[in-house]
Amino acid sequence: MAKEREILNSVVPLDFTYNYRVGIPLEKYILGLAEGKLLGVACPSCKKVVTPPRSICGICNEKLDEWVEVGPEGTVENWTIGHVRLEKGEAKDNDEPVLIGMIKLDGATSLMPGLIEGMRPEELAAGARVRAVFKAEPEGSVRDLDHFEPA
Amino acid sequence: MRNVAIAGVGYTNVFVSKRKDMNAPEMIAEAVDNAFRNTNLRPEDIDAIVIGNMQTFEGVNLPHLWASEHFCGVGKPVMRVATGGTTGMSVVHAAYYHIACGLYDTVLAIGWEKQSEGDSQVGLTGIVLPEALALVPLGLDMTGKQGMVFSGGGSTGAASFQAMSYLAKSGGTIEHIDKMAALERGNAALNPYAHLKVPNCKPEDIAATPIVSYPLRFGHTCPTSDGATCMVMCSAEKAPKIADKVAWINGLANCASEPTTGNLLEGLLTDPAEQMPAKIASKKAYEMAGITDPKKEIDMAEFYDGFAHQSMMWSERLGLFDEGKAPEMLDKGVMNLDGEMPVNPSGGVLCTNAIGASAMNRVSECALQIMGLAEGGHQVPKKVRNALAHGWGGLFQYVTVTVLGDTPRKM
Amino acid sequence: MASAQTRYASDIGMPRERMLFETVKGFYDSLGITRHDIGTFIFASNDFQDGRTISNVFADSPVGAYMKDETKVEADGSFAYLYGVMRILSGHYDTALIIAYGLGGSQFRPYLVMDYTMDPSFTRQVGIMNELVAAALQARAYMMKYGLTEEELAAVAAKGLRNAAANPVQLRGQANATASDVLKSRPLYSPLHEFHCYPPTDGCCVMLLASAKRARELTRKPIWVAGIGHDLDTYYLGEKDLAVSKSAQRAAAAAYKMAGLSDPAAEIGVAEISAPFAQQELILQEALGLFPEGSGSQVMGGGLSEIAGKLPVNPSGGALGAHAFCASGLQRIADAANQLRGEAGACQVKESKLAVAHGQDGFCAQQNMVTVLSS
Repeated sequence: MAKEREILNSVVPLDFTYNYRVGIPLEKYILGLAEGKLLGVACPSCKKVVTPPRSICGICNEKLDEWVEVGPEGTVENWTIGHVRLEKGEAKDNDEPVLIGMIKLDGATSLMPGLIEGMRPEELAAGARVRAVFKAEPEGSVRDLDHFEPA
Repeated sequence: MRNVAIAGVGYTNVFVSKRKDMNAPEMIAEAVDNAFRNTNLRPEDIDAIVIGNMQTFEGVNLPHLWASEHFCGVGKPVMRVATGGTTGMSVVHAAYYHIACGLYDTVLAIGWEKQSEGDSQVGLTGIVLPEALALVPLGLDMTGKQGMVFSGGGSTGAASFQAMSYLAKSGGTIEHIDKMAALERGNAALNPYAHLKVPNCKPEDIAATPIVSYPLRFGHTCPTSDGATCMVMCSAEKAPKIADKVAWINGLANCASEPTTGNLLEGLLTDPAEQMPAKIASKKAYEMAGITDPKKEIDMAEFYDGFAHQSMMWSERLGLFDEGKAPEMLDKGVMNLDGEMPVNPSGGVLCTNAIGASAMNRVSECALQIMGLAEGGHQVPKKVRNALAHGWGGLFQYVTVTVLGDTPRKM
Repeated sequence: MASAQTRYASDIGMPRERMLFETVKGFYDSLGITRHDIGTFIFASNDFQDGRTISNVFADSPVGAYMKDETKVEADGSFAYLYGVMRILSGHYDTALIIAYGLGGSQFRPYLVMDYTMDPSFTRQVGIMNELVAAALQARAYMMKYGLTEEELAAVAAKGLRNAAANPVQLRGQANATASDVLKSRPLYSPLHEFHCYPPTDGCCVMLLASAKRARELTRKPIWVAGIGHDLDTYYLGEKDLAVSKSAQRAAAAAYKMAGLSDPAAEIGVAEISAPFAQQELILQEALGLFPEGSGSQVMGGGLSEIAGKLPVNPSGGALGAHAFCASGLQRIADAANQLRGEAGACQVKESKLAVAHGQDGFCAQQNMVTVLSS
């Protein structure tokens, strides 16, 4: 019997461009980064302070429009060490492990994900103190908060 | 089995091309807030939520997860329903079943789209693209005119085949499509929540717009809109506690056909103007609502008309006029706002198309007409007892139908 | 209810339409029915996963929905099941066919689908978070809060692999797998290794729901839906305790109330929980009230959730054996029903009359659906 023929397979990369309106609260946050400030908003009802800011506390059904400055130092509450990175959904090995922390900025109640540099993996633990490092040349994006380093 | 009422509607403050001042969850929140304001309800009064949009248009997978706080969904049962163009009405139907099955009493139904953030034509072409691209290794040339035909040319390309077939069947002319479009653009001018408004629009104004794909002109096509709609639905027991005026969902049905371009790999071609699912679904919905003669008993209708010829086509396929009679009815003024069978007093999808909300707006507009609450002058002058709402989608193949009444149906 | 599944694969090797046709047609034949016996068709599929806008457009005819009542829940299959139950309870339909499928193995990468689940203007732009990072943080949160060790977390995955090896439809299994095998697998984001995480999977699962009268005509061994509940948590990972699942707790409470259960841990005989990452089995079995809060170490140490244990959890091998996006939650419900029918083969637990099954969506199980099944 003849060898079974391979059925045709279409490999189709699709590339769409989306333009997302970030909304007014996040815009204010991004503009703050350029000045080296980290902004959050407080809920008048449950008193939580979240950063990045958003317009609504859905739990309390309250508008979040009380602005507060948080950080730039904070505490690592949770962490992971990335032996891989995902590139378009595919896991690729890292040459050096990447340190990712969930950081509670001073004055905030929410945790924010951040890259941690200048620390060895074995030093990373809950309770570690870190400080935000901003881009020297801000680009007007959320990435203007570049990473965190030991405080 | 129990009866289900629509107790209130909240729209975003506007439906526009680009809602620049907010992101998608904030836009949803605006419609939800307005629904709460219009019904004096609070989030804790809501038992469950059904929400839907077309996620490839905004490029966010399962966006209800991101938006959960913005529609008061945290700590509540939430279901996401998405069926293409029919999404908005599929959401209403899902909310109906949430209540009819007895598990929940008060349910929010939310439909939304923020089309300005993505590329809608790319999104629409994505319906058929994988199937078409599978033919590339077999020699299909995806560039040039042939490629556009196979990919449906976005949606206007495919709709032009439907319009040609409809005109041939009904004996209508391109001037009838101009007239239908002018009627709806004029109605939209009276609706504060419509997107494209042209006061006193004349058929000549439409006829002056360029042909996009014969016989469809630019003036025959819908816009792409940003907007959201939130409906409050409740059980018969709850209804008197929530609102003085309610509209009842007395009949509902949906039906699926083959994709109209044909199932390129394995299926058949169908006539895009036949729309058998509309006939099957409307028959079922009328039966459920106890309507035996829709021509007489239905007082007004809201159709999903992405293209102006469709308002004529749907009014026939859904049994409001005999086959081929719609152009004549249009000429006689029957479909006007003050006619015997007003069609799309809101201006229809032709004038406002935030896709995930579009089919829902057909239901909400019928409900507001029954309650006598249509704002800005688009309330039809006659008393509306029974209204027909219609949704359409997929690749020209899905039809959803909802029959609304001013009194609940007899069980 | 009755159900059928494909044999799950990393590459099913056929077009989606063919997979659906063969699975559903085979299912009809096994029950001696045709497509005309189906009152309503409910899909669970995902446009991103399918790479198609309105993913059901070309899928209707292969499952027999031509000119029939059809709709789609864009979520895990357990939510399509939920909608089917509602439609039958409403009295409008006697039968509902639930079709849930995903081609995450060959067609589109599941981690990329989950990248698109993140909000586009902050989390996606910052570029740190992804499905694996979120799962790793959740695992660490549970370990820190309740003192679970890396070996005990690996033991959860090893149990999954052993059970999956006994289940012929599963994609990935390993008889005699141990915690050390799991810890030797590729490290991803600490503390997670490859075997702690679901394998990208192709496959579909279909299920027929029927009213009581119709069910007795269709099968001699109907399984009954005794309770359902579902609930949603906040999206913001930095604003909740990842070591617990409040939405799964609320969903379970609703399902148990409907089923009239007062002591689920004692009354339920077997559980099938959607846990695409090992730690989620512990978090969710606690949220479902099957074991006390923070009991992961004791449960794994005592083998309490093994097939022969006090309360078997995921005897099928669960999502660590195969996790076809959308199909996964429906697969759990189907597996739980098979247990009650005594048709679970080598995965069969001791006879039981009540089972609980669970499905989820989102990062760290943001949205949960719980159902109680009864024989």
